[in-house]
Amino acid sequence: MMEILLLRCAAGLYLAATAAVLTAITSQREFPTRLLGWLLGGGLFLHVVSIVLRGAQVAHLPVATQGEALSMLAAVLVALFLVLQRRTGLLALGAVVMPLAFGLTLAASVLKGGAEPLPPVLRSLWLPVHVAFAFLGDAVFGIACSASVLYLVQERRLKAHRGRGVLRRLPSLETLDRLSHTCLQWGLVLLTVAIVTGIVWAHEAWGQAWTGDPKVVFTLLVWGLYVVLLQGRMTAGWRGRWAAQLTIAGFTVLVASLVSVNLLGLGIHGRGY
Amino acid sequence: MEGHGIVVIGLSHHTAPIALREQVAFANGVIEPALRELVTLPGVQEGVIVSTCNRVEVVAYGGDAAAASDAIPEFLGRVHGCGTRELRQALYVHEGREAVRHLFRVAASLDSMVVGEPQILGQLKDQYAVAASLGTSGRVLHRCFHKSFSVAKRVRSETGIAEKAVSVGSAAVELAGGIFERFADKTALLVGAGTMGEVTARQLLARGTGSLLVANRTYARALDVARELGGLPVPFERLARYLPLADLVIGAAAAGPDFLLRRGQVEDAMRERRHRPMFIIDLAVPRAIEPAVQELDGVYVYDIDDLDGVIAENQGARATEALRAEAIVDAEVDAFWRWLEGLDVVPTIVAIRDKVEAIRQRELARHLAALGPVDARQREAIERLTRAIVNKILHAPLTALRGHQAAPGESFYVEAARALFQLGEDAPDAALAAVPVPGDDDEDA
Repeated sequence: MMEILLLRCAAGLYLAATAAVLTAITSQREFPTRLLGWLLGGGLFLHVVSIVLRGAQVAHLPVATQGEALSMLAAVLVALFLVLQRRTGLLALGAVVMPLAFGLTLAASVLKGGAEPLPPVLRSLWLPVHVAFAFLGDAVFGIACSASVLYLVQERRLKAHRGRGVLRRLPSLETLDRLSHTCLQWGLVLLTVAIVTGIVWAHEAWGQAWTGDPKVVFTLLVWGLYVVLLQGRMTAGWRGRWAAQLTIAGFTVLVASLVSVNLLGLGIHGRGY
Repeated sequence: MEGHGIVVIGLSHHTAPIALREQVAFANGVIEPALRELVTLPGVQEGVIVSTCNRVEVVAYGGDAAAASDAIPEFLGRVHGCGTRELRQALYVHEGREAVRHLFRVAASLDSMVVGEPQILGQLKDQYAVAASLGTSGRVLHRCFHKSFSVAKRVRSETGIAEKAVSVGSAAVELAGGIFERFADKTALLVGAGTMGEVTARQLLARGTGSLLVANRTYARALDVARELGGLPVPFERLARYLPLADLVIGAAAAGPDFLLRRGQVEDAMRERRHRPMFIIDLAVPRAIEPAVQELDGVYVYDIDDLDGVIAENQGARATEALRAEAIVDAEVDAFWRWLEGLDVVPTIVAIRDKVEAIRQRELARHLAALGPVDARQREAIERLTRAIVNKILHAPLTALRGHQAAPGESFYVEAARALFQLGEDAPDAALAAVPVPGDDDEDA
């Protein structure tokens, strides 16, 4: 149960990081970003160790149960945010990403039951490939969603003429809109690859590409939504609030499908991923 | 107080009306001969003149602060040919520590008309450089001015004093920063080419706004302003045609009978620009932009009250930050003063004597113990012997030091003595050895 303990510690550090980010963007002073770096880095380190321990226990990529899947998603999300924050300095994004990561990690540490053996039909090299793209895609959409949430907050402030005071350090609308757009594009690419590898894998495993699995149906639904959104952005000039709301809706469906499909144990993805 | 007589004598926007400030200001060609004359005044050995549009100050260092305080106002009146009485009323005199504090506060922009504005530091550096190149600033003022620059830098980096916008133009830029990430690919549209609009447009351009369109009821004026700001004049009647191009709109023309921009017009423009956000500042009173425009998606309208709100809040924030800045200044004045006092001869002599005496006592005690039992007479002889040696050795250097007491500013001997005898924590000062490089750090413009 060592890995569960580590996971809870990581969740605690993520919570502290959330508080740190909120302090940083609401206070007037320069915030010690180094402290935030330690919290994030420390949390992620414990998290990764936890995943590795679990992987060693079950002897495959630990994404076979609900808890494992959520834990993995949270870790990828935090890693992505860490990279993004280093490169662009978009600290404020953490105000949404970190609570999200905290929630996912906490849920993972609660849900993470005993290890289950992987059915032989799923023992394949496709597993890490398919899963890597799927989680990376989900995490990128998570970032897009976070940027959109911040966009809505910032846009409300600007409209209400509360451009001053606390939250002064939020990024500009343009920054958030662009980030969200870029993430949508990358997320769509990754998700597409995940779907294609899934189809190939399914074909290999069961001899048929389409399984009618609810997770697949939901994913295709979100994929379609994001395609329409991107298309609208590029041709019809959808942007701003409307685009942000659609982005958030898409990610919500994504997470909802991940959780509900798993909780209900539906279909082949019902075990976790 | 004697021995470190720093004085600051001058006038500023706090004490003198602009007419007098203009009269007393030093033009470029005048400042050099004035500096040369300044250091010949009684009680003055080093001098720097600070002259900006808001202040004229003489910073002097010499043996006799009182004499300098008498001579300098008279000198100012003579150079500028103005009545001494009026001048004396406007002049303030700071001596000693207060003079140092004043200089540090000026450099840190705590004494400025707009607290926290960055220009003063550059001006100070320029004028110090003039004095340094003429050699009228010496060891003490070099140190004092360099210290004031580093104080300013500390204040800027450790407090938020310069962060906040306190003019209409900069407030507009701050608000626009909530919407736009970069300005280079943005177009601003100035409607109504009055002073206020022009100033605001200038700030947006200074922030890097890519291009500017200027519309005005009288086209000739639009042409003038456009030429001056490097923008493009557009005919007032065709405003609506140009509106879709504008990311930032400055409405600075009075509305007249109808609003300058109506909801319908902006709505059409937004459709045409495919809903890229539009930032509108309404500088007119009464307002020139129809209030309903604010309801449109992606359109952000701010009026003069909003801008004032930003300014007021920022001024409040600056006042808080100024308190923190004053604390920094206080600490730095203390540090500087300790250094300056260290230049004084008497405390140095005392310190040397104390130190040597302590060494003598220590060694004596050690060796008496090693010697074994000695009687009182022998002991007395040893005491005398050691004291005589110490006094003989110290005699020449201490006499030399005392000889330089009469000449303040000749701190070389004192500093050398402090360094040789390792007195005080900051005796050997690397920064001082590197003096002077006028205007060394020009990270600010």
